[in-house]
Amino acid sequence: MSSESRSRIMAKVRGASRGQGAAAIESELAGMGVAPTAPLPHEDTCIAFMANVLRNHGTLDIAGNRSEAVKLIGQYIYQHFRSHRLVAGNDPHLAAMPWRDGGVLPRFGEVEPGEPVALSYAQWGVAETGATVFLTGKSNPSRNNLLPERHLVLLDVNNLLPDLESLWRQIEPNIEAGSRPRGIQCIAGPSSTADIEAQLVHGAHGPRGWHIILTGGATHEQLQTAQTIVACDDTLGGS
Amino acid sequence: MELQSQHFREKAADALADSAAVAQRDKIAQFTPIIRDAAMQEFGSFEALRKHIKRIRQHSLDNLDYYLARFELEATNNGNQVHYADTPDEMNSIVLDICQQHGAHRVAKGKSMVTEETALNDYLQRGGLEVVETDLGEYIIQQAGETPSHIVAPALHKSKQEIRELFLEKHALGERALETTEDLVDEARSVLRETFLKADVGIIGSNALIAENGYSMLVTNEGNGDLCANLPNVLIICTTLDRILPRGEDATAMQRLLARSTTGQAQTSYTSFYSGPRREGELDGPLETHIVLLDNQRTDILASDYKEMLQCIRCGTCLNHCPVFAATGGHSYGWVYSGPMGSILTPLLTSLETSEALPNACTSCGRCGEVCPADIPLPDLLRDLRHEQYQQKMTAPRWRVGLKLHAWLAVRPSLYQFLTAMLTTVLHRLGRKKGSFSQLPFAAGWTSVRDFPAPQSGTFMQQYKARTKADE
Repeated sequence: MSSESRSRIMAKVRGASRGQGAAAIESELAGMGVAPTAPLPHEDTCIAFMANVLRNHGTLDIAGNRSEAVKLIGQYIYQHFRSHRLVAGNDPHLAAMPWRDGGVLPRFGEVEPGEPVALSYAQWGVAETGATVFLTGKSNPSRNNLLPERHLVLLDVNNLLPDLESLWRQIEPNIEAGSRPRGIQCIAGPSSTADIEAQLVHGAHGPRGWHIILTGGATHEQLQTAQTIVACDDTLGGS
Repeated sequence: MELQSQHFREKAADALADSAAVAQRDKIAQFTPIIRDAAMQEFGSFEALRKHIKRIRQHSLDNLDYYLARFELEATNNGNQVHYADTPDEMNSIVLDICQQHGAHRVAKGKSMVTEETALNDYLQRGGLEVVETDLGEYIIQQAGETPSHIVAPALHKSKQEIRELFLEKHALGERALETTEDLVDEARSVLRETFLKADVGIIGSNALIAENGYSMLVTNEGNGDLCANLPNVLIICTTLDRILPRGEDATAMQRLLARSTTGQAQTSYTSFYSGPRREGELDGPLETHIVLLDNQRTDILASDYKEMLQCIRCGTCLNHCPVFAATGGHSYGWVYSGPMGSILTPLLTSLETSEALPNACTSCGRCGEVCPADIPLPDLLRDLRHEQYQQKMTAPRWRVGLKLHAWLAVRPSLYQFLTAMLTTVLHRLGRKKGSFSQLPFAAGWTSVRDFPAPQSGTFMQQYKARTKADE
């Protein structure tokens, strides 16, 4: 049934298409140039990323080193859950963290129902939209990004990209080498809904909170500048 | 979903009589354009982005034979099973077969207008499956036994109080207040969490299919689509041929337009790209993935003068800016798609005769065409459908006579100006005292719902000539 339909549909599509060869099609596409990207809220990519994370209702912490990152993670978990327990993916970046420094008790693997907080290592961040990007796989179970009450993200500022086009350029070598990740997840905020009387509520199905710990040299001054940008947005009624 | 577009006029009249619903729609019609305009202005080169995506979409449709074959090859290499369905029934049958092959009982479903088009839920339920919509808006209307009133915000017609009563009735959870919106969202979250965890099959739609790598893009804010795509052992993506784009960067560029046009965001909370089943060593993700590509007249549209309609990105912007949609609401349109895009798609996907009222549900204000992020000439396509109705003699005889008379008069400007001046003078004199008419011959359609204002003295042309003369 499906193969007959396939033949019928393909025949109709062929009949309605221009019938150009692959080279002509690819050349025409290449000639169309690139899409304009969104202007960054600041010329510093890191500040721009931070401002967009805040606009997306995310929260941020700055860690000077790995030990400080663990302490900040510990404080965050304790503040919200009076606990030291955490589920983290099997990413080597997470396994290598000095967990004892923050008194955090991590379990490596995938989140089980009822476990309130998970930490993921983001491969990249996108300044244009304030998104964190995850490639699902052995070291990053997708449910860790989706099921917990609070989703913590560790991101190195050296992995910040200016825009979504740069993201594809980073991913493409994997794709072309045949090791295509099953999922590429761009997460740009907590799970949210405005389906009831258009009122925004966080925690529709997934995390109510989306908290990013930035490592790799981000500074508190940069964060303050980002906060000022967002405060100006609010004053001017912008985004 | 059963087509009821033939009842548009009656449904619209009922909708206009419900003052609370009218007020709610007015509120939505006021704030949605503001959100979109702010996002557009912040972006700056929105028009350039719009033109770029239009070129890419047109190029994809012009070469769909190439890109469809490429997508099928890449998606198959990624481990997906790709199916083709000519008709809604065929798509439903393919999906049910897959569910039955896996002995599935429970299906968690993400938001998909394509499956609304095919009435998949009813079909699967008749096949013995439990199907739960997981997008909050879709879940609410499923519980209420209703259909979506808007392609993006399906339950926006319902008040918080109505949803509270619905949840108290449908969820056997004992005494509770459910006073705030947060309470309602929390309750749906806890109920639906069980659905995600127990589902045997997840069904989602797709915002774009990427030809160069076989990925499927999913854009949501709730994350429900991602839970459907990642937790159950079987994933079925129900989508259509026209979603195909050449490259990953085209999909993300389109996402820029979509998110800003729909919710005013730079990017929604979740923008995901899925390539296929779980990889070796991966801890989660579906074990089997299927992509079902529905035609349902789309290849006919591709070969027709309405081809540009296939560029629609389902953002709902034209609905949010349409005065007829704001006045009558989505349910009046009687099918899945409403507003200007629905008034074009419904006749094309079903029948122009049955949905004859829809192309006429238009004030010709042109706003939908101005705001459409895909730059589809919606007013022109609506006019073309009306023209087709006229040619096929579907238009009521009195309208045909009226249009003929108007056409005859319009090409005789002197006579037109003389008659309109005479009519204006008469109406001006008759209505001078009261300033309006509560009844007028041949205008009952107007005066039955509101007074007709008495014209000021002189037509536009008379005043124009008088002023030009005075200036000289």
